[in-house]
Amino acid sequence: MGRLRRALASDHVAGWAFIGPAFLLIGVFGILPIVWGLVLSFQKSDLIDPNTPFVGLTNYRALAHDHVLRIAAGHTLVYTGVFVPVSVIGALFVAVALNRKIHLIRFYRTAVFVPVVASTIATSIMFLWLFDAQYGLANWLLGKIGVGPFGFFDSPRGALYAIIAMTVWGWVGFDVIIYLAALQGIPHELVEAAEIDGASRWSIFRSITVPLLGPATLLLVVWSSINALQLFDEVYFVTHGGPPPYNTAVVVWWLFSLAFRLGAAGYAAAIAYVLFLAILVLTMVQFWLGNKVVHYSS
Amino acid sequence: MKRTWFPAVMVVAFVAAACTGGGDGAESPGGNGTTGVEHIILWQGYGAPTQPGETPNREADSMRALVEEFNTTHPNVSVEIINYNNDNALAKLTVALQAGEPPDVTYQYGSSMPQLAAAPGIVDLTSRVEASGFDWSDFYPGEREAATVDGRVLGIPALVDNLAIVYNKDLFDKAGLSYPTPDWTWDDFRTAAKALTDPATKTFGFAFPADASEDSVWHYDAMLWEAGGDILNADNTAAAFDSPAGVTALQALADMAVTDKSVYMDFQNTKIAGLFNSNKIGMAVTGPWDLPSFPNVNYGVQIMPMFPGGDHQTIAGPDNWVLFDNGAARLDAAWTFVSWLTAPEQVLTDSLVTGHLPIRQSVTQLPTFDRFATKFPGVDVFVANLANVQKARPVLKAYPRISEAMGQAIIAAMTGEKSPQQALADAAQQVNDILAIPA
Repeated sequence: MGRLRRALASDHVAGWAFIGPAFLLIGVFGILPIVWGLVLSFQKSDLIDPNTPFVGLTNYRALAHDHVLRIAAGHTLVYTGVFVPVSVIGALFVAVALNRKIHLIRFYRTAVFVPVVASTIATSIMFLWLFDAQYGLANWLLGKIGVGPFGFFDSPRGALYAIIAMTVWGWVGFDVIIYLAALQGIPHELVEAAEIDGASRWSIFRSITVPLLGPATLLLVVWSSINALQLFDEVYFVTHGGPPPYNTAVVVWWLFSLAFRLGAAGYAAAIAYVLFLAILVLTMVQFWLGNKVVHYSS
Repeated sequence: MKRTWFPAVMVVAFVAAACTGGGDGAESPGGNGTTGVEHIILWQGYGAPTQPGETPNREADSMRALVEEFNTTHPNVSVEIINYNNDNALAKLTVALQAGEPPDVTYQYGSSMPQLAAAPGIVDLTSRVEASGFDWSDFYPGEREAATVDGRVLGIPALVDNLAIVYNKDLFDKAGLSYPTPDWTWDDFRTAAKALTDPATKTFGFAFPADASEDSVWHYDAMLWEAGGDILNADNTAAAFDSPAGVTALQALADMAVTDKSVYMDFQNTKIAGLFNSNKIGMAVTGPWDLPSFPNVNYGVQIMPMFPGGDHQTIAGPDNWVLFDNGAARLDAAWTFVSWLTAPEQVLTDSLVTGHLPIRQSVTQLPTFDRFATKFPGVDVFVANLANVQKARPVLKAYPRISEAMGQAIIAAMTGEKSPQQALADAAQQVNDILAIPA
């Protein structure tokens, strides 16, 4: 009896009790689907027919011949390559601008953050009308200053960039909040010392602010990249991967189409797994590179 | 095939399908409680009923009213409505099937039937529709065909429609044009579309659903058939749309969209009805479901133009109520509901609210049917147009992928990215690759 009581009182049991609920939820909604997806990627399945024969590596071999996937992968890389630097650098400047004691500062900060809270679909509907090629407000305003008209979501070459603009607007507020928190953590003595030494505002920003924001920047770059590679909502709702042929197709949109519209869920799972591995590798590389550059204070 | 452009969206994460694979842990939401009332779940895709201050959603309102009437008159059954968007019906059902909890009754596109035939729990209704009193032959032949897979009746017709020209009389008058006639060719259509287009006022002669979805494809299918072509060959083993007839049909669209720029290309496929109602579109090729959305337009309806030497055809998109077996008692309750809902009286009640074409032929004999055409001007053209339905889309499991390839080709030609010939040849190659995979 004494032994059991000692065992129950040990840190071991208490620890498991604390993580139990989270462990269960992550297991059911995280680990289980990941394993099931792996099994699915070796099957022929449309998710409707219960007869799902194992087909070995057929789904993975098919990746090489999928020309839509190739287009989608290209768009995903372009999207990530533009979205991540634009949103992170943009957020840095906005955060610095908002890190001041000026009138109505709380209002400005809230305004920047509102798009993050708004649902993607709501903002998508707004942008659909704003960026409408014929009747949109954006073209009307640009026309006033003699620019355009642009096709935006209807333009084969421009639609992807219209999506980038929309998503940067939607997500920059989140990055700004992270940067604002990090800016509060920059020791005031450092800035003061630099000012006394006669440093200009730009050189303070470049030599003190930016390096000390390193950890936040690394976090945002990794986090934004993971999100960018999984872009789906806006493409699904706003452009449907178009204008045809596939001008805004991205990887997750295509695998969703395959699984839920075109009856190729096994193959879609194979794409999901390859994407997962690609994101894993990219994240590891980013951390490895980042940790060489980033300066962690104290 | 009926688009609700109601912007409801279901975002299903891919993993969501996986997270409930098998097992039957949770208590199912339906079923017989302690009250002796059989509770069944109905999925319908007309969206939510109208809220105060909104543009009326008559289809959803009508469905709600009918279900309330049924629940009142059938105290031992209680039907619960779940709203969604028809375009997501198959995806949503896929997830429910993975969870092992399909609804008792669900609205599904006719084109989804070949896939659904393999779904666990789908109810074979053959003996029920053949029982006396149901009068299966009262439904139009095209509807019955679209509800039947390999000789098994797997759905009850929920809606039938077809495509015709809906035109804005005021815009025709303003341009000094005479209205479309039943003798129109596609050349006449093109000439009128060009004359109706005015870049200064952003008015377009024609509008096309350009999201490369099945909605784009069936608009083209009707023209392909009119030109004498077909989607696949007779035994469904190879593409046939890349024929000279196919090129003729697509060239007609490309001439208007690329050369004349008289077509509003709705790449998101959400704006045509609204723009037509704002008097910005001269002609739309659409179905009867759109007529109630045009209260601000003095419109007319005319059957589809033809190609020289061809005939008038159209395409019908019958959709179905599909039943799933959640136990004998619930199945009986679901059948009671569906057979009530699709009985002539209820069909007419719904048509008088929504403008839906009656799905049963006998409805046109009911005494109050003449109110239908009075209430929805032009709808009689759509009813008569059902006789111009000569062909149907292939009933194949691979159909969604065939449609995907054709949709991309049609829009690529209408944006000038490819010539019609090249676009169709590329799509035919893709389709033949798909069909070569042994099913």
